[in-house]
Amino acid sequence: MSSFLKIALRNLFKSPTTDPYPFGETFVPEGLRGKAKYNAGACIACRMCEHVCAGGAIQIREVADKSGLEFILWHNTCTFCGLCEYYCPTKAIRLTEDYHTAHRQEDKYRYVEKGFIKYVNCAGCGTPMVPISPELLQRAYEHVNKEIEMLRHLCPKCRQKRALR
Amino acid sequence: MRKILQKIAKKSPWLYRINAGSCNGCDVELATTACIPRYDVERLGCKYCGSPKHADIVLITGPLTARVKEKVLRLYEEIPEPKVTVAIGVCPISGGVFRDSYAITGPIDNFIPVDVNVPGCPPRPQAIIDGIIEAIKIWETRL
Ligand code: SF4
Ligand code: SF4
Ligand code: SF4
Repeated sequence: MSSFLKIALRNLFKSPTTDPYPFGETFVPEGLRGKAKYNAGACIACRMCEHVCAGGAIQIREVADKSGLEFILWHNTCTFCGLCEYYCPTKAIRLTEDYHTAHRQEDKYRYVEKGFIKYVNCAGCGTPMVPISPELLQRAYEHVNKEIEMLRHLCPKCRQKRALR
Repeated sequence: MRKILQKIAKKSPWLYRINAGSCNGCDVELATTACIPRYDVERLGCKYCGSPKHADIVLITGPLTARVKEKVLRLYEEIPEPKVTVAIGVCPISGGVFRDSYAITGPIDNFIPVDVNVPGCPPRPQAIIDGIIEAIKIWETRL
């Protein structure tokens, strides 16, 4: 009984333990996995994220006019597992600390993260291809020299031709 | 008299929770939001109730498994109109990781009109509070 009284007395003089949210600021634990963010500029369309996604939230498909690839992530089935971020070779997809997910039913299917990768033409033969992002070069090579920089603009076929020359 | 009651009722919707076959993750977060002083959802004027007949805002978790479907729908029918429905977690919204399983009949909006979605697996208590605030806004227009 006395210990209970002690706690009760102590609590009288302590500030409230209630998190002020939604009336004030709240805390965000470091490394919290929230809504995913996508950066089309770094993406190389390897589709690893689509493959590993636990919630089946990611779709990468060619747009109707065949000018590039469209990336769509539907937040309403994402489980915040972080596998996409873990396996993405260029870290084009990341989980942010944004956990505010509540939205009205009207927006259910509009609640997506989108991105568009425009095809570029191969500097050699002109075939449309997915651009090779600087992030991938950074990862693959220690130093990106002129030769590599030039190969970057070639499609796999032209690259092969050049290498075997 | 009715006017006065309406005015009072707007300030204090009662929450009711239905588990439509959830893995318990979202329910733990709901319990946290409700019972732990840290998140104390009753500051918003709402209160959890034990009977569907008293409910105003319904929180549904889980992908609506085939086994509980009839029971959930019956329970939902018992809640008087007007009511506001909030889907908590990706399960009721899209089926989440259980989507396309033979054991589930969801998503829940095939059977129950949903007003607010709070995705996440599970969502944080703060996100649930966001959803409840949104539901209260809708609740005020329905009375
Ligand atoms: S966090 Fe998990 S579920 Fe969400 S998009 Fe990435 S892989 Fe898919
Ligand atoms: S986001 Fe990453 S894993 Fe997904 S296709 Fe792009 S580069 Fe590959
Ligand atoms: S959304 Fe995730 S945590 Fe919630 S019930 Fe479904 S599987 Fe469990």
